[in-house]
Amino acid sequence: MAKRRILIVEDSQLVIDAFKVLFADAGYDVDTATTVAQAIRHAADRRPDVMLLDLSLPDGHGLEVVEALRERGKLPRATIAMTGYGDAQARQGCLEAGCADVLVKPVPIAELLRQIERHLA
Amino acid sequence: MSMIDRLDPAALQKRVRALESQAKEAQRTIDELKARDSLKTQFLSNISHDLRTPLAAIITHAEILREGMLGELTQKQRDSVSGIVNGGQQLLDMVDEILTYVRSASDQVNLVKTEFDITEVVDQVRVLNQALAAKKHLTIERLNGDDLPMVYADRDKVKHVLGNLIGNAIKFTGDGGRIWISFSRRGKNGSELLVEVGDTGRGIAPDHYELVFREFAQVDASPSRPHHGTGLGLAIARKLVELHSGKIWVESELGKGSRFFFTLPLNPIRD
Repeated sequence: MAKRRILIVEDSQLVIDAFKVLFADAGYDVDTATTVAQAIRHAADRRPDVMLLDLSLPDGHGLEVVEALRERGKLPRATIAMTGYGDAQARQGCLEAGCADVLVKPVPIAELLRQIERHLA
Repeated sequence: MSMIDRLDPAALQKRVRALESQAKEAQRTIDELKARDSLKTQFLSNISHDLRTPLAAIITHAEILREGMLGELTQKQRDSVSGIVNGGQQLLDMVDEILTYVRSASDQVNLVKTEFDITEVVDQVRVLNQALAAKKHLTIERLNGDDLPMVYADRDKVKHVLGNLIGNAIKFTGDGGRIWISFSRRGKNGSELLVEVGDTGRGIAPDHYELVFREFAQVDASPSRPHHGTGLGLAIARKLVELHSGKIWVESELGKGSRFFFTLPLNPIRD
């Protein structure tokens, strides 16, 4: 089976580093992006299977990435949103925008890996 | 005899001018304090948010280690890494408590109301606190509520209030004590739900009934106090109850225990 590709969209290098360790070890090809613009570019060019998407990015809201990719027909198979703060309204907005799931940071890693496997199955 | 009694117009006018100027001065001070308070709130909000990010990274790294993803750990190593995860998580809970407080204090909280069964929420909070209570051999019981109508409120916020009240009861109740939750209806046609969270803990002196709901207030604020925390739990509970147009208060007797009460409207007009 081909290696799965994940795009991590997150503006904190500290958090990116942690996820890189996690997903590289779990056998994924890891791409990263730190802004909305970069995320759209990387997702469109490299077509990841799954995108892990932080909602607050320096140049806009994470869901703008989802909208732009949908318009181009280039959405990954699963997008999992991450928020810094559990909020029923934000959660609803993400699910309506087409995210497979919304997790509160710090995302429990076992749960995260399970969710991704489930959405890619 | 005072100047006013003599009704000397010149003196009166002078007095009025002085008062006006004092009032203006007071208003300036109020405005300045308000501006500073809002700056402080903004600062708390920013700093809490900024603290969360590196903390999240620390916890994730530690979890990766603990799960053995970078190689198997010995039991001692795993215990030590678990300590990092648990300590980080506790710190994160406190940061979140500050964020919740700042948001509720600056009216940044939007209620998302739905109809739900409050006894389910109480039972969830009981389960969440079971381990903590067991350490002190405390029992947490729900005494009634099986026949209650649905509540129309923000489920997460009500859960937060119950979590803070029950967490508080666990903190201040000695080994082997009891904590209970009960419900009753009051108001016109039973339109209000009264929720009680009671405990057999150390109790609160009447002078402190108000103080405990004040932000950052702890009855024992000394650095050597036995109970640490942000001192925001009950202040947040009050804000969240008030956002639902409810009331919250405590009745207590020192050495016997405390009973915290809050009200929620039942079947309120939908908004």
